Amino acid sequence: MPIQDRTNEFKACVDSITSRSSFPNRRGEHKQKLLNGKAGSSKSEFSRMATAIGKDISSTNLKLNKLTQLAKRKTLFDDRPVEISELTFIIKQDIANLNKQIASLRSYVKQQNHKGSTSAEGKQLEEHTQNVVMLLQSKLASTSMTFKDVLELRTQNMKESKDRTEQFMSTTSSAVQQPPSNSILFNPRGDPMGDGSPSRFDSKGKRPAYENGDVLALNLESAEEGAQQHQNGNGFMQMQLMEQQDTYLQSRSTAIESIESTIAELGQIFTQLANMVAEQRETVQRIDADVMDIQSNVGGAQRELLKYYASISSNRWLMLKIFGVLIVFFLIFILVSG
Amino acid sequence: MKIFSISVILAPSQGSSTTLASASDLSSFSFYQKGSVGEFMTFFSKTVAERTQPGQRQSVQENNYTAHAYNRGGPEQLAGVIICDDEYPVRPAFSLLTKLLDDFASKVPQSSFSNPSAILFPEINTFITKYQDPSQADTIMRVQQELDETKIILHKTIEGVLQRGEKLDNLVDRSQQLSAQSKMFYKTAKKQNSCCVIM
Repeated sequence: MPIQDRTNEFKACVDSITSRSSFPNRRGEHKQKLLNGKAGSSKSEFSRMATAIGKDISSTNLKLNKLTQLAKRKTLFDDRPVEISELTFIIKQDIANLNKQIASLRSYVKQQNHKGSTSAEGKQLEEHTQNVVMLLQSKLASTSMTFKDVLELRTQNMKESKDRTEQFMSTTSSAVQQPPSNSILFNPRGDPMGDGSPSRFDSKGKRPAYENGDVLALNLESAEEGAQQHQNGNGFMQMQLMEQQDTYLQSRSTAIESIESTIAELGQIFTQLANMVAEQRETVQRIDADVMDIQSNVGGAQRELLKYYASISSNRWLMLKIFGVLIVFFLIFILVSG
Repeated sequence: MKIFSISVILAPSQGSSTTLASASDLSSFSFYQKGSVGEFMTFFSKTVAERTQPGQRQSVQENNYTAHAYNRGGPEQLAGVIICDDEYPVRPAFSLLTKLLDDFASKVPQSSFSNPSAILFPEINTFITKYQDPSQADTIMRVQQELDETKIILHKTIEGVLQRGEKLDNLVDRSQQLSAQSKMFYKTAKKQNSCCVIM
């Protein structure tokens, strides 16, 4: 709910009323001002606390919105548990803080009401403070309800994602913990070439002579070790093999997804390009129109000049005649004056 | 990113396996090491192929070599093993193996499997030389590369279009100025014509 700040209007109203009622009752006004000063300070103290609490509540709401967004993400791999838990912790602290602040505000209000007068104004003040406190409490209550809902949603999502992870990767966590020893040819001794090799090739194909006694390699032989060990080894091997299948398939799918996104990007770039060229079409049309104007103007000017030239060249005889007439008049004037 | 050797191995689920075709690129080893390295590669490939279940893919790390094995199973019971260094990306290696095995199965009839020395599959050599560069082997990688190149070209095109836009704006201003000037020219010429009709 947007909080409108109409303090200025209020102040203007108060000023106008006091100026209206100031003339007949100066002394009363002084007393009233003093009273207002004290009560005003306590009121402003109360309003300060209330505004502080209101601000805290709104910031907590913002954080809660962020948390809701994070918790709603149902992605399998991009979870951010650290951030979510941090945010949850911060919000919990904020709510506890707000609770304490509201409790202190309430006790303050009760104190004020015990001190305050029983006049009509005091009663209104008391009612107003009670309402404000109720409002803040209800806001805090709604925030904590939303918080609870978000936490429930988060636990639900976590459970779902865990189910899905189990569905896709059929390994249990224990098998994943020991990849090196599960590898068939785990050979911690160095040098495959050189001195080690001749002895190896002496042995038969299926039983390389590992001096380390790699347990699982031996387990893979068929009937020597006993069925149970063999099956355990097989079980581990199976899971790891399937994991590798999964990794292979996953890497394929990620690669293809990246190709898909690249193609989408390319499509966007193409549309941008088309847009830019379309914008430039306008400019080109303007240039075209301007150039046509220039052509017509220059053509018209040329015509005029030709006309002028033609008139000049054709008018020469007339000009001679006019000059002749002028000279005649000139001579007449000279003769008349002289 | 080097491939050291590729081999196609007949890997029945019981019994030993036999190498049907193989090619190796041991140019990075010194002359005296080549022999033993080659033997090691063969042995390694055979062992890994034997240890791979049909229809499974596997990667094994050994010092600084990685072997990727793909046992295709199927009626021919073929398995492909590629030994390369750590840098070679995994997925194209497996797609290379798949391609190799399909090629092999189509070219070489199953009857000649019992006689490994008689099998002629020279394409395996082309495989190893051509696919030292993984993007050649894997269509996905190649598509991605081409897309990236196209994106770069498009970015340059857009920059060109921006410059074109600037020049067009320039042109518009100049043509507007020219138009104004030519108008003035026309008016002056007209004025001259109409004004001095005295003579």
